[in-house]
Amino acid sequence: MIRVRGLRKEYAGGARALDDVNLEIGAGEFVALIGPSGAGKSSLLRCLNGMVVPTGGEVVVDGEAVTGARGDRLRRIRARVGFVFQQFNLLRRLSVLENVLVGRLASTVHWRSLLPWFPAADMTRARAALSRMGLGGLEDRRVDTLSGGQQQRVAIARALVQEPRIILADEPMSSLDPALSHTVMELLRRINREDGITVITSLHVLELARAYGRRIVGLRDGRVVHDGPPESLTASAADRIFGSGEAPGGGGGSS
Amino acid sequence: MSGPARWVGWAALLAVFFWSAWATEVSATRMVEGLPFMLDFVGRMFPPDLSVIGNALTGAVQTLQIAVVGTGVAAVLALPIAFAAARNAAPPWLFYGARLLLNAFRAIDTLVYALFFVAAVGLGPFPGVLAVIVYTATVLAKLYSEAIEAIDPGPVEAVTAAGATPLQVLRWGVLPQLMPQFLSYTLYRFETNIRAAAILGFVGAGGIGFYIQTYLRGFEYPAASAVLLVLVGMVMLVDFASSRLRARLV
Repeated sequence: MIRVRGLRKEYAGGARALDDVNLEIGAGEFVALIGPSGAGKSSLLRCLNGMVVPTGGEVVVDGEAVTGARGDRLRRIRARVGFVFQQFNLLRRLSVLENVLVGRLASTVHWRSLLPWFPAADMTRARAALSRMGLGGLEDRRVDTLSGGQQQRVAIARALVQEPRIILADEPMSSLDPALSHTVMELLRRINREDGITVITSLHVLELARAYGRRIVGLRDGRVVHDGPPESLTASAADRIFGSGEAPGGGGGSS
Repeated sequence: MSGPARWVGWAALLAVFFWSAWATEVSATRMVEGLPFMLDFVGRMFPPDLSVIGNALTGAVQTLQIAVVGTGVAAVLALPIAFAAARNAAPPWLFYGARLLLNAFRAIDTLVYALFFVAAVGLGPFPGVLAVIVYTATVLAKLYSEAIEAIDPGPVEAVTAAGATPLQVLRWGVLPQLMPQFLSYTLYRFETNIRAAAILGFVGAGGIGFYIQTYLRGFEYPAASAVLLVLVGMVMLVDFASSRLRARLV
């Protein structure tokens, strides 16, 4: 489903975000991407949908090369990849329904999407996605009147109506209070299980990664330093990712 | 700023003030001597001559029309210019060029443009409309471009990530963030343009100003005061309606 080879990213000014990342992710997987801030999680996710152009290496998503794709071809790939953002990135003045319909832009006849005059089928899809997110009845509310948890669920509904093969989520719960993180993670898990959509989510809370990830990939300084099932995320593995066990001259020992 | 430097600053400011007052022949005695004449002038305006109310209303409506057409056309013209003059939307060469032009054009007021257009296309409301368009387009373009620079990039990224075309990104990611502000700025400029259009008649560019000037020149003070009353009423009415509308936009 996703193949990443020798991926490198250096930003202008020389900051290195990704350093030779290699990764294979199969259809239907639920991957938790963990690592300290600045480890390259956001850059990696954004390389997968072409929002960040890598300095080197190759990304293939659903059989299509993302690296080097431009224009219509890149847009077709993006349409099959939903993205859920840390800050929701909704249009605050638009209604809940309009925000979800943004997920249908790529599959709607262009001039109709500009009017806008969405087909009835798209409206039905959007309403269904909202009721699945537990937001039925809020379609006509302005998004900025909703709570943070509700807004993130609108954003997930927006990704869902793209009918994507993959959903990428960048710290989807870190702007929410802890109780709501479970709701959001639970929804992502259900989408993964019921729709067979591959989910890759970056997380900074280890407990959430252990509880929801069926595969855990650890990034540090732009490199993959851990890759395995939740059981493999032992205390020493976590130390290797987050570096908390590193003490100069300490007797921790490294393998 | 430290103590002595601050005193030098204040002293310089006072010096400039008194130098300017001297140069402009500001005189308390002349002011006092002129007072009776001013009162006489105001007294002669009463009671207003309501027989000219028809003329006043015709002029007021024309002023309104000049402001409506001028602001409307300017709002449309300002859109592309604003994107060219926004740091986050245009390449540097275009941005600096557009900003320079905008600042240059904005230095000249509507009335000066009106003089120019009266000379170019003749007397009447049309040169007034042209004057309002040129000045308002540059002012609105500046205001719009500042709104564009303050846009939240998050929603734009989200719409792009959903596979939208550039036009769809503009329609769904950018415009929903900008439209309320654009409309609010445009209404505000419309209010100011009513006042600007009201004096365009002084230079022959149509509207209610024509009657004010004609009656004052003809020493028909009661008639002039009737026209002024209509002007005040119109401005207050438009300000009220427009500010109510603007409050609903935010």
